Amino acid sequence: MNKVKTQLNFKALFKNPYVQFILFGLVLSTLPLLSIQFSFIKSAYITTVGVALIYAIAALGLNLLLGWSGLISLGTAGFMGLASYISAYLTVDMGLPFEVALLAAILVPTFIGILVGLVSLKIEGLYLAIATLAVSEILRKTFEEFDQFTGAFSGKSAKFPQLFGMFQLDRGSTYWLIVFILILVMLITYNMVNGQIGRALNAMRGSEAAAQAMGVNLLKYRLVAFALATIFASVAGVLYVHFIRYSYPSSWTLKLSLDFLAMIVIGGLRSIYGTVLGAFIVFAVPDLFLKQIPYFSQLSYTLNGILIILVIMFYPNGIVMIFKDIRLWVLKLLKKGDRNHVK
Amino acid sequence: MLNENEVLKIEHLSIQFGGLKAVDDLSFSIRKNEIYGLIGPNGAGKTTVFNCITQFYKPNKGTIEFRLKNGGSTNLVDHKVHEIIRLGLVRTFQNVELIRELSVLDNVMIGAHIDFKASMLEQALKLPRARKEEKALREEAEEILRRLDIYDRKDMLVWGQPYGILKKVELARTLMCRPSLIILDEPAAGLNDVETLQLAQLIRRIRDKFDCSVLLVEHDMRLVMDVCDRICAISFGRFLAEGSAKEIQVNPLVQEAYLGSKEEEHA
Repeated sequence: MNKVKTQLNFKALFKNPYVQFILFGLVLSTLPLLSIQFSFIKSAYITTVGVALIYAIAALGLNLLLGWSGLISLGTAGFMGLASYISAYLTVDMGLPFEVALLAAILVPTFIGILVGLVSLKIEGLYLAIATLAVSEILRKTFEEFDQFTGAFSGKSAKFPQLFGMFQLDRGSTYWLIVFILILVMLITYNMVNGQIGRALNAMRGSEAAAQAMGVNLLKYRLVAFALATIFASVAGVLYVHFIRYSYPSSWTLKLSLDFLAMIVIGGLRSIYGTVLGAFIVFAVPDLFLKQIPYFSQLSYTLNGILIILVIMFYPNGIVMIFKDIRLWVLKLLKKGDRNHVK
Repeated sequence: MLNENEVLKIEHLSIQFGGLKAVDDLSFSIRKNEIYGLIGPNGAGKTTVFNCITQFYKPNKGTIEFRLKNGGSTNLVDHKVHEIIRLGLVRTFQNVELIRELSVLDNVMIGAHIDFKASMLEQALKLPRARKEEKALREEAEEILRRLDIYDRKDMLVWGQPYGILKKVELARTLMCRPSLIILDEPAAGLNDVETLQLAQLIRRIRDKFDCSVLLVEHDMRLVMDVCDRICAISFGRFLAEGSAKEIQVNPLVQEAYLGSKEEEHA
């Protein structure tokens, strides 16, 4: 009897979303340890998975914007790039601590993001997409031309982060920092979308008239959506430059912004785990597996396109819904098995 | 100015779209705990009056005095559209504006948007105050759903629910802000006879239990005649007549507006 009770408690514990997030983080953080233990997990995989997780952070921001609020942006790459250059410049050239650089690298892009949010009150849909694309391209062009600050085409280098001026991280521990921040961002996103803010964003997407009638200030929540998306993109940019230790103008092109879009559409609009899954599918899978196959390495664009079509046809809410179907399927099988057993 | 027993008083309201006078010098007032109907033939400007009251449109002329919860009064024209609900005035929509991807309960919770005191940071980190508020308001929403007999559907998605249920969910959402005046835009549109009858009972029950006034715009004469204490008829944006259901039914001006004049019939 006692045993049954503890088992039930365990089940309830695993159903708690916060516990799930932390478990997810723990699973992700075993990768560097595994690469030491097992030779078939190359240490280069850490870089690929780490970048996929960084992209997942930025994609979560875009999901808040597009999935929850119904506002589109093709400027994610530009904001991420801006944050990466600011952080690199402040830590390497000015010798400021990582934390200060992080703060500055979030504030500056977010300010620009909020300005874009102001514009979004006047323009919508495709026009907003073009406007954000323009901002992103202006930023990219600036990275190419403003060479004392960005190093132009030769890029800008940075070091692994040093926390609190004491702990110098290496690649493995920077990976852990990335996992930690990703889980933090997932938790914050979860809290927000399941509360007043999330409902206001949902209402804004679903019906602007109803949102206003219920007291949602459209201007405020559009700015909130853009600010959150830019903050997440900036955090991702800072982590990127201190993990890869380089930032080139060619990293922050339209292709990356479109990849973010693909991540959330393929993974799942309005799904937190779906976004992470999308980042893996769009970035990590081609990098880890397809590159081994000749002729396939150049096909990632095509594959993304095909995937988007398939997902929209069969899983309009994202591939993350497959897990629900699999679960139902397994439960069905188990039930059948039980019945046979009884017979 | 507002009389003692009035919650809303519209005076000399006019709005013009280009050359078209959609509402022309309209005045009427609604008393406390009254169910007031606004009727008129198609294109009479009923919904425009609605949108002027709720500030979706800014009227060109006129005042809309509204009784505040503390007893004072304010001119609604001086407020922004998203501030109206804070004053205790809330509306529904002709074509039911709900969020399909959210559950019934979450849709009702949107109506509690203005009741949250916790800052965004508190909510992002789910600090105690945010947690407490969410729980208390969720219980309140569940209580309202129970009173409207749709509690058993609280966790279902709004998407795919029958129209009658959607209307109830929208009503439940308006009740979340403890309004002193609810305005309903064609609540009977799309409902069958039985549902319309139930709606009439529901509107009366809401007025009694939630202690508020109701203004409704309606095509469906059965509902209006059945439920309204007083009715105002308008045509081409102008005031025609005001009175009880019986008085309105026999009013020659109203009959003419709806059915055409006798001369026309002969011709």
